[in-house]
Amino acid sequence: MMLLTVADVTLRALFNTPIHGTFELIELGLACSVYIALPAVFLRDEHLVVDAIDYMVRRRVVRLLDLVAACLSLAVLTAMVLVMVPLARDMSEMGDVTADLSIPKLLYWVPVLLGVAASALCTLIYIARWRKGA
Amino acid sequence: MSNLLIGALGVLVLLAILFLRVPIGVALALVGVCGYAAIDGWHKAFAVLASVPFELASAYSLSVVPLFILMGAVASRGNMAKEMFDAANGLFSGVRGALANATVGACALFGAICGSSIATAATFSKVAIPEMRRHGYEPAFAAGAVASAGTLDVLIPPSVLTAIYALAAEQSLAKLYAACFIPGFLLAGLYVLAIWAVAWIRPAWVPRVPGMRLAERLRAAVGMWKLVLLFFFALFGIYLGWFSPTEAAAMAAFVAILIAFFTRAMGWRGLLDALLESVFTTAAVFFIVVGAFIFSRFIVLTRFPADVSRWVLEAQFSPLSVLLAVMLLYFVLGTFLDEVSTILITVPVTLPLVTGIGYDGIWLGVFVTVMCTIGLISPPTGMTVFVIQAQHPDIPVTRIYLGTLPFLVADFVLVGLLIAFPALALWLPGVLKV
Repeated sequence: MMLLTVADVTLRALFNTPIHGTFELIELGLACSVYIALPAVFLRDEHLVVDAIDYMVRRRVVRLLDLVAACLSLAVLTAMVLVMVPLARDMSEMGDVTADLSIPKLLYWVPVLLGVAASALCTLIYIARWRKGA
Repeated sequence: MSNLLIGALGVLVLLAILFLRVPIGVALALVGVCGYAAIDGWHKAFAVLASVPFELASAYSLSVVPLFILMGAVASRGNMAKEMFDAANGLFSGVRGALANATVGACALFGAICGSSIATAATFSKVAIPEMRRHGYEPAFAAGAVASAGTLDVLIPPSVLTAIYALAAEQSLAKLYAACFIPGFLLAGLYVLAIWAVAWIRPAWVPRVPGMRLAERLRAAVGMWKLVLLFFFALFGIYLGWFSPTEAAAMAAFVAILIAFFTRAMGWRGLLDALLESVFTTAAVFFIVVGAFIFSRFIVLTRFPADVSRWVLEAQFSPLSVLLAVMLLYFVLGTFLDEVSTILITVPVTLPLVTGIGYDGIWLGVFVTVMCTIGLISPPTGMTVFVIQAQHPDIPVTRIYLGTLPFLVADFVLVGLLIAFPALALWLPGVLKV
């Protein structure tokens, strides 16, 4: 994303020839980078949480709350996957493409779907590790 | 049950599950989709749950976030903090409170480039606190100065938080950056005044330090070239009409990498670490944005913001009392919520409310950002305070909070000035015509 933008700005400034479809490629890069990294955030438990309660209760209670939070995360992510699949299928059947480069819109949706599904899986692994006391 | 009641209940449930350590993005999405279903049925609620992640996946305006985070991650690894501290120290050398003033100046500039209050506080707690303690500064005050100055990055552009507000409130990022410029540096100035006030009231806390010679000052000032270059690309390029904010972020991140490589401050391993850090941080923030968008659809559906705005107008509360209520809301939320979530959760409600009493959406962005800086140093969960305490365990948290008090007063003075003189935020965007 960074290199593409720098190349686009440089070519536009020096030769008045910007790279065609930069916006669309950057959007694709954003979708890929964010959603592919998302499972790691769930697996490593690197979420932003309000930890005020940590100073009020015992460590065991905090661990139990972590398990409840992971189960809720799993429920939300699973629901997301289940409702996103039909939407992605509809998009695939419609065959929509982007305006400049004619990139199939489905290509933007695949990393989103895979990222959320993998995040659900990683949350499941986190719960399994919790049971083992990791 | 009325929609308004469902909305109020949703907010209460959200606060409760946030308090129980549910990840912020998950909590927002969960309450958002359940609340939406309570009003409009599960079919439409699931449609929102399915569409929002896809819509945001291709939001070009969001790409500014990972790029500025990357620039910050590289700057943190590029040894720039020490050089900025030396340069700022050269500037203030000889004045009482020089080291604390240098900390404020260096944090303001480094924080603007780094973009993370926590990273800025962590970096300067290693650079500035040992230096201040060595010269006899009261440890609590030294820590309080770093904790407070570390929050300046939130306000001084280019700021990731401002980019998040621009996205949530659908405001121009270029205008917001221009609007934050004067209040940001004014706050740094108020911090310097706070240091002088402490030096006057408690001279033992801020002892006089021998001044540097002119040659030493000039040598230290040369270290500022990296910062000047980064500012040029990250900020001035936008107002010269050369780049859009996203392009400016990409150019600045690229230049930061070049500087770090050419000065041998960072190698390939460091670059890989910086890239991974920026991607993981963006993903964590992005999931909160997804949750917040789902939650805001629910809040809009309840007509809670519109009803509150109408109620306020009908009750003919004075604009000042409304702003004080909004201020109180942000102060309370800031004590336990992180600043990104605070903005994403509240803006759907506060934006129509504040614009309804005649204030501007750009002005609100600056106001909210200042309130977020207050949240970062307010008990019980001032994030920058904890970061410093982790690195200096011999200074108790309560003492660090005491050290931040003069700066907290400065924060509230700025809030008062912003309310009294909205032009402090709105004059520059008007002049620059962005």
